[in-house]
Amino acid sequence: MAPKPITSPVPDAWYPTLSVFMLAIGLFVTASFFIYEATSSRQNRSLGKELITGAVASVFLGFGSLFLLLASGVYV
Amino acid sequence: MGVRRKMALRFDLIIFTILLFASPVLSDLILSKVDRRIDLTSQIVRITSTLKVENEGSEPVSEVLLAFPDLQVKDLALLKASPHEGKGKVKSLSASLPVENVKPNGMPAALTFYAVKLPKALGKGDSYTFDVLAVFAHALRPFPEKITQADIQLVVFQESAFYLTPYVVKVQSLSVKLPESRIESYTKLENTKIHGSEIKYGPYENLPSFSYSPIVVHFESNQPFAVAQEVVREIEISHWGNVQVTEHYKLVHGGAQNKGEFSRLDYQARPTIRGASAFKYLIAKMPPRVHSVYYRDEIGNISTSNLWGDSKKTELLIEPRYPLFGGWRTAFTIGYGLPLKDFLFELEGNRFLNITFGSPMNELVIDNLIVKVVLPEGSGDISVSAPFPVNQWEETKLSHLDLTGRPVVVLQKTNVVPEHNQFFQVYYKFSKLSMLREPFMLIFGFFSLFVAGIVYMHVDMSISKSSAAYLARLQWDEVQAAIQQVENVINRCLTTHDKLEASLRDLSRTGDVQACKAARKAADGLLKELSKELKLVLSFLQSSSAASQILPKVEELVAKEKDLQEKVMAKHSTVVDCYEKKTGIRDSENRVAAQQQKITALRQEVENLLELIDEI
Repeated sequence: MAPKPITSPVPDAWYPTLSVFMLAIGLFVTASFFIYEATSSRQNRSLGKELITGAVASVFLGFGSLFLLLASGVYV
Repeated sequence: MGVRRKMALRFDLIIFTILLFASPVLSDLILSKVDRRIDLTSQIVRITSTLKVENEGSEPVSEVLLAFPDLQVKDLALLKASPHEGKGKVKSLSASLPVENVKPNGMPAALTFYAVKLPKALGKGDSYTFDVLAVFAHALRPFPEKITQADIQLVVFQESAFYLTPYVVKVQSLSVKLPESRIESYTKLENTKIHGSEIKYGPYENLPSFSYSPIVVHFESNQPFAVAQEVVREIEISHWGNVQVTEHYKLVHGGAQNKGEFSRLDYQARPTIRGASAFKYLIAKMPPRVHSVYYRDEIGNISTSNLWGDSKKTELLIEPRYPLFGGWRTAFTIGYGLPLKDFLFELEGNRFLNITFGSPMNELVIDNLIVKVVLPEGSGDISVSAPFPVNQWEETKLSHLDLTGRPVVVLQKTNVVPEHNQFFQVYYKFSKLSMLREPFMLIFGFFSLFVAGIVYMHVDMSISKSSAAYLARLQWDEVQAAIQQVENVINRCLTTHDKLEASLRDLSRTGDVQACKAARKAADGLLKELSKELKLVLSFLQSSSAASQILPKVEELVAKEKDLQEKVMAKHSTVVDCYEKKTGIRDSENRVAAQQQKITALRQEVENLLELIDEI
């Protein structure tokens, strides 16, 4: 059984593209979060919607910033 | 002259001691043929001996002893034995024979012994040929020890013309290969011939065991005497696709010390005469597909370097900031990145890193080499397998996105020569899920920012709960909520109007009057509900004082909307009527036209008002 070379789970060449797309989506969702915060009044605000928007935005921003670090050569 | 006398005196003393305790030959092995080739063409001395061993006794023998004087052994960097491949045969990477340090009894003092284990025991009359490679660092001594810039560098090498061995040697010969430069002097024994830059001693026949005849060769060597006092080689693995190697060098010129002045002018004008012993550059051979190579020192980047590579290897040529003369030092750092798939492998649940141990520099002697392998956080069950003995211990290193630190395996070895640049393996276990730890840390960081924002918006942090401004703000919040409700309701009304229009269009298309009437009924019901809601909100707005400014606009909006509603309804009934009575198309259009105009105008006004209210 010959040893199998290990590569990263995501191909190297995709890092810059992935980082741009994920950060873009993450920033869009962040913007919608802040718009919701600014335009809703105290009574109409729903905590669930806020938390979900925040969670989705942070997932995309987290992955986007990870791929940004990898694409710029900081192999974390 | 003085050299040879001093050397001769020292070795005579050794011979005396040896012969004093000379014991009879052990076991019944004899060396029927010994060919030695000493390579002095670089600062590292390589002695290759081809030994043909024969068993003259009756007992099978499986071990052959090699003897080295203690003075030589402290410079011994590598000792390797391998089966002899005949001339012309392709050199196969066959497994080398195991060699170990032994201390047999009854041997002369001041000698170190190594035992080579033969692949199978030699029976009576059998013979076996094998090669022994001994590599010595610091074995060439510069003599004179201090030279000026214009002098040539002469070094001295001492050996024995007769092979020092505990066995009887039938035939032996020795050839010493020198660099293509001046030979100052060499010991002339019987049977000594010199061909160009090669000195041949021998053949000598039937010499007893432990026979020793010192020879001294004094010659010029302008090879770069690059000696690294300390090299720290850090190999950091990232499972995201990169192996980063960082090497810190402390280099010194190990040849004759430079005394007197250094004249840059002389050196630049005639470097081969004024500064032949100095070296200006070093070459390193690195694996292919290396990227992000940098060469810097404490001051900053050093730009005098060249890199070129092909699919098999990459060569880096570096020039220190100044040429190195005897005794001069320099320190620098080289770093490069390697693709992960060339060096990290998986086998039966274990991952292992397969990478070269020594420095990639050509012909560099390292006094103290420290190799640190930094494994990603979350690795366990770490073990090392190296082809030669090394000192080993573990550390931790805190690096990017680390919580507790990455495990580091540190391997240390002294007296390292380029022959030590072989592959070694580090085994460890790592679960794939641990790779997600890093993105989850980033996600958690961003999420805590969002939670902080949410908390800020929800928490009431005003200091005084009864001040006029605070109360006014509270009331305005309520008014805003009410207005949003109004907007919501009006928007729903407008969508109902749109639905009615759509039903009219459907009517003209399909002719289904019943469906149209049904839609009208539904719209009617919906609009009634919406007007009820509106009434509620409106009453609240009328009662609150903060809404006084915006109230007239809202009332206007509601009134207009009601107007619009009535007109749309009227138009709808007219169209349905016309259709039922089957009047011509032009007729019905005429009747509807005026109403339609009013409707569109009103609708525009309603939308404008909505926008206005929104902005407040």
